[in-house]
Amino acid sequence: MSRKFSPLGIIAFIVVLFVISPLLVVIPTSLTSVKYLSFPPIGFSLQWYSKIWDRPEFVDSFLFSLELAALTAVIATLVGTMSGLALHKYRFRGSGTVNGLLLSPLTVPALIIGIAVLLFFTRIGLAGTFTGLLLAHVLISVPYVVRLVLTGLSSFDYTLERAAYIMGAKPLRVFIDITLPILKPAVMSGMIFAFLTSFDNVTVSLFLVSPTTTTLPLAIFSHMQESLDPLVASISALVILLSLVFIIILERVYGLDRLFGSNSHSH
Amino acid sequence: MSESRRRKMRTAVLLLAPAVAVLLGVFVLPMLYILLMSFQNKQEHISLVNYATLVQDPYYLQVLWRTIKLSLLTVLACLVFGYPVAMYMAQASSKMRGIVTFLIIAPHLVSVVIRNFGWVILLGEKGLINNVLMQAGLIDKPLRLMYNELGVVIGLTDSFMVYMVLAIATSMYQIDVSLYKAAGILGAGKLRTFLNVVVPMTLPGMLAGSTLVFSLSMSSFVTLALMGGTSVKVLPVIAYEKIMTELNWQLGASISFLLLFSTVALVTLFTRLVETKRYKEVFSS
Repeated sequence: MSRKFSPLGIIAFIVVLFVISPLLVVIPTSLTSVKYLSFPPIGFSLQWYSKIWDRPEFVDSFLFSLELAALTAVIATLVGTMSGLALHKYRFRGSGTVNGLLLSPLTVPALIIGIAVLLFFTRIGLAGTFTGLLLAHVLISVPYVVRLVLTGLSSFDYTLERAAYIMGAKPLRVFIDITLPILKPAVMSGMIFAFLTSFDNVTVSLFLVSPTTTTLPLAIFSHMQESLDPLVASISALVILLSLVFIIILERVYGLDRLFGSNSHSH
Repeated sequence: MSESRRRKMRTAVLLLAPAVAVLLGVFVLPMLYILLMSFQNKQEHISLVNYATLVQDPYYLQVLWRTIKLSLLTVLACLVFGYPVAMYMAQASSKMRGIVTFLIIAPHLVSVVIRNFGWVILLGEKGLINNVLMQAGLIDKPLRLMYNELGVVIGLTDSFMVYMVLAIATSMYQIDVSLYKAAGILGAGKLRTFLNVVVPMTLPGMLAGSTLVFSLSMSSFVTLALMGGTSVKVLPVIAYEKIMTELNWQLGASISFLLLFSTVALVTLFTRLVETKRYKEVFSS
């Protein structure tokens, strides 16, 4: 049934266009020469790119977001990989419950997690701190890593590890030479996904940032509520290009379809 | 317990400790804390005053209803537009299927703020849609396509389409192709095959996609703030206002639980209804 231009194909094309058009229009809009948003864009200039450098809040929040996302990715990957290994390798009584618990932050809306963390962290003095923000980002990223590592381990052949032990390898060496290479695609995708989860997040960050610790999506969010100008387009275009690099790596290393194979939310 | 099992158990506990610590400190305790807070008055005494306010003041029921209505409309839009895409994916060559899957998922990995900004460009007064309609002479002045409920549903549909498409596609892939042949041999036309074979077989996917899209829509905040403007009040928006603007944390906490509870209750009710009513045999497999 591979007729070209079937009615179904046309509908699918329109829906795909609907989903990607908001990202497609951002790039031409960033090249406009006028001061307001319009599409098709009017004129051509790179002024909105040079104007980014006059706005320290965007440059600073971009660097801050990168730093936060990188730290989140490293910590979440470590913590999540350790848990995944523990759950799969050492099946113990209650490991199913622990697994469910570790994934449970995915079932509660990000907004409610943000509210809960803000109120609780205010009580214990962590609200508005970098540590508080980082912990919250780690919390929402770990479940994805755990799930990816568990999927990666599901076909893992433990006789390989046993063979290495019999040949006299030490546990650390077995882990580095046998376990890690096999887990590498899952761990790497987990790390990239954790990075993107943190880098894209608005809803949880919203409650936890302070004037000195604002993330880029939140800076854009605040700016958009006050004024809509092509400046947001040039910043967004850069973010889209950067995200695209990570998305393509994810697609190559793991495959987006497998990543979204089971239900996963990120809002 | 033998020595080796004990050692294994200790390793497992050590490996799990950091994740469990984060989970407890950043999720379980905070959730319990706001649950307690929702049952406190402003003087931090135990009280039902917040929930009484939510039940008695018609304003909150209106907001709850608007939240549910917009979420249902989003589910409907995702179903209507997502179903054909999933069908196309099931029939397409593996190359086209890969391309469509990539294009549906990839935008989802870019921040929702940026996707919403793209919609502002498309739907604004000087945006693509208004420009095209004006040029074609179909309208005299720009249509108001956002900062209202329409804008919200468009933004949410874009955000959550991916879940619906993938859920339906997953159940679509499982249909045995010989079923189509069998239906054809038994004399069923295309429409009949679709209604009697394809739809029932994909019902679990539609249900899974719908409950997911519904839950996500109920708690959406960013799209509401950016594409709904100040006029579209839903539970997440007023929860935010109570907590960040009015600093009424107790009421804000109780609104969070109203949101959580109503979402879970409606999803459960809906699932029960569909499962017990007609297609029970589909779900039991």
